[in-house]
Amino acid sequence: MHSLNKESKINGSVRKEDFANRLSSILGPDGVISSDDELIAYDSDALTGYRIKPVFVVMPRSTAEVSRVMKLCYENDVPYVPRGAGTGLSGGALPVEEGIVISLSRMNRILEVDIPNERVVVEPGVVNLSVTKAVSGYGYYYAPDPSSQIVCTIGGNVAENSGGVHCLKYGVTTNHVLGVEVVLPDGEIVEAGGKAPDMPGYDITGLLVGSEGLLGIVTKITLRIVKKPETVKTLFATFDRVEDAGASVSGITARGVIPAGMEIMDNLCIRSVEEAMSVGYPVDAGSILLVELDGPRAEVEAQMPIVEEVLKENKAQEIKVAKNEKERELFWKGRKSAFPAMGRISSDYYVQDGVIPRSRLAEVLGNINKLSEKYGLRVANVFHAGDGNLHPLVLYDSSREGDSEKAHELAGEILKVCVDSGGSITGEHGVGEDKKKFLSYMFGESDLDTMNLVRCSFDSKGLCNPGKVFPTPRTCVEPGIKPYRENPLQKAGIGEMY
Amino acid sequence: MTQSSIIEELINIAGQGNVVTDGGALASYDMDGRSPATAVYPSDTAQVSEIVKYASAESLSVIPAGSGTKLALGRRPEKADIVLSVGRMDRVIEHEAADLIATAECGVLLQDFRSVLEERKQFLPIDPAHTKNGATLGGIIATNDSGPLRLGYGTARELLIGMKVVRPDGNVFKGGSKVVKNVAGYDLPKLYVGSLGTLGIIVEATFRLYPITESSATYLAGFGSLENAHSAVGKLLKSDLVLASLEHMNPGFASGISNRAELEISRNHHALAIRIMNVRKAVEDQLHTISGICKEEEGTGLVVEGERERVLWENIRELPFELSGHDGAVLKAGVLITHVPLVYERLDKLSVSSGVRPYATARAGNGVVMISLNGESGSVRSSIEELRELCERAGGSLVVQSAPGEVKSEIDPWGNMGSAAGLMKRIKSNFDPQNIMSPGRLL
Repeated sequence: MHSLNKESKINGSVRKEDFANRLSSILGPDGVISSDDELIAYDSDALTGYRIKPVFVVMPRSTAEVSRVMKLCYENDVPYVPRGAGTGLSGGALPVEEGIVISLSRMNRILEVDIPNERVVVEPGVVNLSVTKAVSGYGYYYAPDPSSQIVCTIGGNVAENSGGVHCLKYGVTTNHVLGVEVVLPDGEIVEAGGKAPDMPGYDITGLLVGSEGLLGIVTKITLRIVKKPETVKTLFATFDRVEDAGASVSGITARGVIPAGMEIMDNLCIRSVEEAMSVGYPVDAGSILLVELDGPRAEVEAQMPIVEEVLKENKAQEIKVAKNEKERELFWKGRKSAFPAMGRISSDYYVQDGVIPRSRLAEVLGNINKLSEKYGLRVANVFHAGDGNLHPLVLYDSSREGDSEKAHELAGEILKVCVDSGGSITGEHGVGEDKKKFLSYMFGESDLDTMNLVRCSFDSKGLCNPGKVFPTPRTCVEPGIKPYRENPLQKAGIGEMY
Repeated sequence: MTQSSIIEELINIAGQGNVVTDGGALASYDMDGRSPATAVYPSDTAQVSEIVKYASAESLSVIPAGSGTKLALGRRPEKADIVLSVGRMDRVIEHEAADLIATAECGVLLQDFRSVLEERKQFLPIDPAHTKNGATLGGIIATNDSGPLRLGYGTARELLIGMKVVRPDGNVFKGGSKVVKNVAGYDLPKLYVGSLGTLGIIVEATFRLYPITESSATYLAGFGSLENAHSAVGKLLKSDLVLASLEHMNPGFASGISNRAELEISRNHHALAIRIMNVRKAVEDQLHTISGICKEEEGTGLVVEGERERVLWENIRELPFELSGHDGAVLKAGVLITHVPLVYERLDKLSVSSGVRPYATARAGNGVVMISLNGESGSVRSSIEELRELCERAGGSLVVQSAPGEVKSEIDPWGNMGSAAGLMKRIKSNFDPQNIMSPGRLL
């Protein structure tokens, strides 16, 4: 949005030193980072292509501190960006010019574990995997499992509505967040939802999950935990053609089986993973489909033969069932390290995050191949096949003139292919800074305008992670829909109201 | 703006036969004594948009409706110029079985939607009350209605992935998408689930679906005490079982079920209905485990399958509304799983102290208790107040789903919306600054 008055930011009418002092008075001297050496660590998230150095980074320890910092920013029109562990892949935590970063990393306490009610209440800086660790002794776990789960935080997961490899059966973050405490941009502290179900009123919690830090800062999160399944069985099957792996995925659900996870990797991916860590994938396979079934033993035992039958019908070459937990972990380790393993075969790579209807997989992969040839760049494919979430990895060499631009252009065209097939530009990484120009592939003016109505209801000054997600700057000068009038000027479109 | 010119304009948009002005016919849209001046039945999104644009220009209030099964929900609208029913918008647009999704217009009846999906062995796992009387997809979304299957499959919140909506200014927008995993832009479908027609009219919805399982069976068990029944609930939830539904009925409700579904449950017993939907072998295995757990708590029961199972669950869903009759109230308590017994104990106390007759069934794995409360209106009202205080103090809520006029006029059907109420009002006024959509029903 960036329509903020230049002189209202830090360095302008708000003097930097004075502002630092006021932040320190709220947070104590160790709560404000202002030295250039330290600030540099916060100039990007995991999408390192974009870098902006923030003026300060603040590290509140409590909801009250978050509220006081936000109120101070509100009164002085200073923009800010909330940040968790900085593992996001869409630039959602990229700082804004002349703004501050509010890091939630010190708010990392698990506040309550309530096993009989299947709830855990956490602060936003709690690491995803620690939730599972806190409850696994009772036979429970926290289901959303993004690949970065050993470092990424629940606050970040809430902002991005993170997924993982078990989404088809268990859903994504939004399906496991029952309530939040959120600080609104004017400093007001509000609670929505909670441990009990079906609170009356609008689903504020549902709106906040996946809002990419644009609506406020979540300071407390109530999570649902689920029981560990009695049995887990994992297998992989190899195919000559990736299309056959794709057809198997649709075939399995068509037989009434919803596996806990289904993942496909193409040959390029398999080779780089094997080179990086030798997990035992056959390097000459055209593609691999990983299938995990879980549930009561009788269910898994009854479903396994159905899955194997479908795989054979679709010309699976080799089917390998993990013999024990160690082998199962190895199968998954290969999949989970698919991104970093790309470093073995290419100096640089760009991770894309499109979604397609499962049934269009073969067609979409064909189109991605054509694009790869057209641009003369290799594309490795690894995807959450069960829910149609593709992660094409565009390989390039940044030292070669123009390669990086070409890679980004190709990645953008892949998104167009996804949307044309009826899908989405992002399944779990978010729009952030990186994909905002693609949001209009999916949504028209009136759709985006409606989203802006939501944003203006929370953040009328546009201070909270401004400039992200939306393709064009939108302000809240006159928030709210105007009544419809038969007036030729307004008939031209609602856009003029903003 | 005279009434006759309003009618003329609506006829221009929707056609003569699709505008109702007859007082008798409009009485079926009565909302706690407030009947609309007219009802209109548009046939497509373009007509809905035109009607809302007209209403917006003339500041006429619009109450969106489907079949009208849940008009008793919420406060009495401040104004009701036009009831806009999407009842004629009843096309199933697509069913992509390979992708486990389907898109339909919002006037499609849940039961019709089910029949279409069943042809490809899939289903939408939402099973609210009023299904028999014609609950529509749009109405279920707008009221966030749900049933016993929510334990295994979630509610409309989990299943609605995309939608098309006519905004209060008549503009049409879409939210979400047609793929199950999507984080592009705000999750607008979540905002509309439970928004009760206050933010616009939902005209199309895309749902994620599930395959119909090979087999389904229910273990119906009676327990000598509330403690035994609740303790069995705890054990069932902690076990490795994968439950589709887990219902805990108080003795009054259990007797009602026993009569209607022609099933033997001992009188004056708390009862659990425990449903497994899975491959046949897994259903059999789990029933065995279930009967073992029930036995530990001195519960005895029987396995219900096939048509008898269907009738049992239909009754569990519909009975709270059928039992309430015209002098009773239907309440929905949302509490923690471990607080369900507190609600039941209080109901017992109230029946002694104020003579109300409570029939209750809890989605015991979720903490949702459906209560039908009958009795003299003063006692019903004071009982609701007492129950609400109990639920809210325990961090939950109590919503009045329907109640006689003399009760509802003195009690807020929603109760405390908490510290987010102001934010909700800001959203409402940004979307609908003239407050024409279902004014006052929710916010």
